[in-house]
Amino acid sequence: MKNLRWILPCLALVLFAPGCILTSGQFTLDFDLPDITATSSTGIVGEQIDLNDDSDYKDHKDNVKDISDFAVLGTFHNTGTSDVNVEVYMTRDLTTLTDALTITTTGIKLWGPFKVPANGTKTIDWDASAALFTAAGKAAVLQEAKGDGNFTLYAVGSAGTYQFDVENGKLVLVIDVGI
Amino acid sequence: MMRTVALAVLALALAAGVASAAPVGVGVGAFGGLSYPILQDDVGNGSVYGLRVPVRLLPMITVEPYWLTGKMDDATETIGGVEYTRDGFDNKGYGANAILGHVGGAGFHFYPFAGIGSHKLTRTGTPEIKETAYNFGLGFGLSPTPKVSLQIRGEVNMIKTGDTSRKFGNATVGLNYDLLP
Repeated sequence: MKNLRWILPCLALVLFAPGCILTSGQFTLDFDLPDITATSSTGIVGEQIDLNDDSDYKDHKDNVKDISDFAVLGTFHNTGTSDVNVEVYMTRDLTTLTDALTITTTGIKLWGPFKVPANGTKTIDWDASAALFTAAGKAAVLQEAKGDGNFTLYAVGSAGTYQFDVENGKLVLVIDVGI
Repeated sequence: MMRTVALAVLALALAAGVASAAPVGVGVGAFGGLSYPILQDDVGNGSVYGLRVPVRLLPMITVEPYWLTGKMDDATETIGGVEYTRDGFDNKGYGANAILGHVGGAGFHFYPFAGIGSHKLTRTGTPEIKETAYNFGLGFGLSPTPKVSLQIRGEVNMIKTGDTSRKFGNATVGLNYDLLP
């Protein structure tokens, strides 16, 4: 029984040494994206995101630890005559860029590519979309989530001449927070 | 660092106990039950099952290696009026629990337990999470026969993910068979 004097405190230390991992959770944030039409190479329209529009984010913004999941959802119509690989870039400020070259050289690739065949329509689901999230994009979104929560998204084609539109677009983030 | 030291001291304390202990008791058990995500919007409820090998080292201490596998259901979220689903995690892991008391034997009894393991969470579209897991909970044992006991447990299984964790509340029912003594 003498050993219990050591064993019980050690079990408590093992259990509570992780600290705040005991009090944490994963919360889903979602944002509507407006229907957009993107035309190469100077007809791009961005969407400004303010994470503070979501009450879960406002409640936990001081304790955001990570972004555990991310998805861009929606229906993509390729109205051009060539296949298009759709990519989403972000700028870490609220911007109103329209030129694809400026967006891809100054922005951070967040998501993609998502291939839509010529004259085709594809709807992407959450599982497929989550796999297209880039590591650099995750880091940038996390920094914004820990910062002012404002950034701008742009959907562009990866190359060539293209024209596509996006309907019922959504941005979904799952944030890891300490509570 | 603190965790490593604590584990080392725990191992030494248990080893010292074994050196001077009464005969070791060994059992084997299987369990299954329900698994509920705790504070996770993107995971549904699921199921869990596995095996345990309780080894009674001291009258009041049992060390129990375990292996478990679980499948969480898809999460369903309605976003902007459209219903989306997200693949639930597969949870596979092994480790050991330290039980204050014993699992088998005659009669019925409660026992608290805590443990540590290595668990792997996988799902479509997300990099694999393979991390340290911590378990703690309360068990209830009932023995209708000398060698066989019914085990009912509630536990929290907490898998570390950086500065946070994925937590699951597991409610399981199992059968244990005493091999020794």
